[in-house]
Amino acid sequence: MKLLTYLVLLFTVSFAHAGVDVIVHPSNGAALDAGAIKKIFTGKSKSFPDGSKAIPLTQVATAAATGEFNDKVLSKSASQLKAHWSKLVFTGKGTPPKEAANDAEVLSLVASNPNIIGFVTSGSADGSVKVVQSF
Amino acid sequence: MKTKLALAIASCMLAAPSFAEVNLSGFASINGGKVLSGSGVPQFGIEDPIFLADYPIVSTYDEEFSLEPESLFGLQITADLADGLSATAQIVARGANDFDAKFEWAYISYELNESWTIQAGKKRLPLFYYSDFYDVGYAYVWMRAPADNYTWQIFNYNGINALYTGEVGDWSLSGNIYTGREDDESNKLLSEFFFGEPTREIWKDIVGGVLQASNDWLEIRGTYMTYTNQRYRSGEPVLWDGKDEREGDFYGLAVNADFGNLFILSELNRLDLGGKLDTRMLTVGYRIDSVTPFISYAEFEEDSAGGEEHNTTSVGIRWDFHPAAAFKVQYDNVNDESFDLAVAGDSEAITFGIDLVF
Repeated sequence: MKLLTYLVLLFTVSFAHAGVDVIVHPSNGAALDAGAIKKIFTGKSKSFPDGSKAIPLTQVATAAATGEFNDKVLSKSASQLKAHWSKLVFTGKGTPPKEAANDAEVLSLVASNPNIIGFVTSGSADGSVKVVQSF
Repeated sequence: MKTKLALAIASCMLAAPSFAEVNLSGFASINGGKVLSGSGVPQFGIEDPIFLADYPIVSTYDEEFSLEPESLFGLQITADLADGLSATAQIVARGANDFDAKFEWAYISYELNESWTIQAGKKRLPLFYYSDFYDVGYAYVWMRAPADNYTWQIFNYNGINALYTGEVGDWSLSGNIYTGREDDESNKLLSEFFFGEPTREIWKDIVGGVLQASNDWLEIRGTYMTYTNQRYRSGEPVLWDGKDEREGDFYGLAVNADFGNLFILSELNRLDLGGKLDTRMLTVGYRIDSVTPFISYAEFEEDSAGGEEHNTTSVGIRWDFHPAAAFKVQYDNVNDESFDLAVAGDSEAITFGIDLVF
């Protein structure tokens, strides 16, 4: 019984920390590993490996997916990212990604533009987009 | 017909401003502090201890607690005109200048392609690693970029800058090549602090380059700049070896390593003005969730007997107590080794404050 409680707890915890899926337009054939995704989302790279323009799209800071993505893919805290972007913004070297309100908005924007790359809570991607990596 | 065309043009013109997406962002630092003890510079008539926290802006603390020397408020306006064209202005009001708001940056930017961007106008001179974002306290760990290193009197220029971004394997590359000049009619550091008389400082024929390479944990930045210096004290040209101008060459190397929680920041710089002026800095910090303690050492050394020579040992803490704001507190111990070219004497000081970005 105790074991079952633990298992339930474990399941609940891992569910609360559901991962993120990085998504692109179905026509985007770029092979993207964690390193390439990190570069695009930190302003170090402005294009996909095939040379086409990459437009990163993040979610509002309060979205669960944002915390997961920052932690698992970028390995940076929200303040570290903010410090990173303020360094670029106030020196004219870069602009932080636009923020979507939620998974649904990311899905519709990614589905409508082959240049956009975004992330959503694991499992929320539908047929209108392509999942390139799951974390 | 004519009227229709005129109307069409008029409506286009009326509608034009709505095509520009204007973004407002900014940063602020409210910092305070005081000198705990120190020597002053009695040989130059400064009897009471002072702590010179920032050379070019002349931020000095004394034994009275003050919020003025390093507090500042900056506002950035960027108008995105689409197709890669944008215009940016940054207005900064500093406590050290009685919060007199001034344009520190004003430039237009044009993105040629994914790799190159051309910028023209008034920008910060990217001499040191932190020069570009010196005013944005939120972007770094200390209260300020190490004062012994960031000593040069000119920190802006008017000119053209070509910005590059690229990749080689796992390394991200960025860099820039720039050229321009700066004519500072009344240079604050030289006029108010060093010479005590109106001093005009000119850096012309500036040509410089920066190359930065970074991977997941390591960042290396190299830079070189050359310029011609002219100076007028109370209207009279200053002569160096009988000539009214001199050449300067600046070399810099910065290496930063980030191991996740532990990070190391370092800088080595040399300004060659006929004589060599070397600056070095080493900082070690450790992130414990939202709290980051650090220790830092910075020095300035002129390559001549009795030349300018000073160093600072600092310890401090940065605490990210809010998603867009950080609290910092720092203790600095300054040793001024020179007598004839003493700057601000020995001092121990405590400073603290809040940096935020929006």
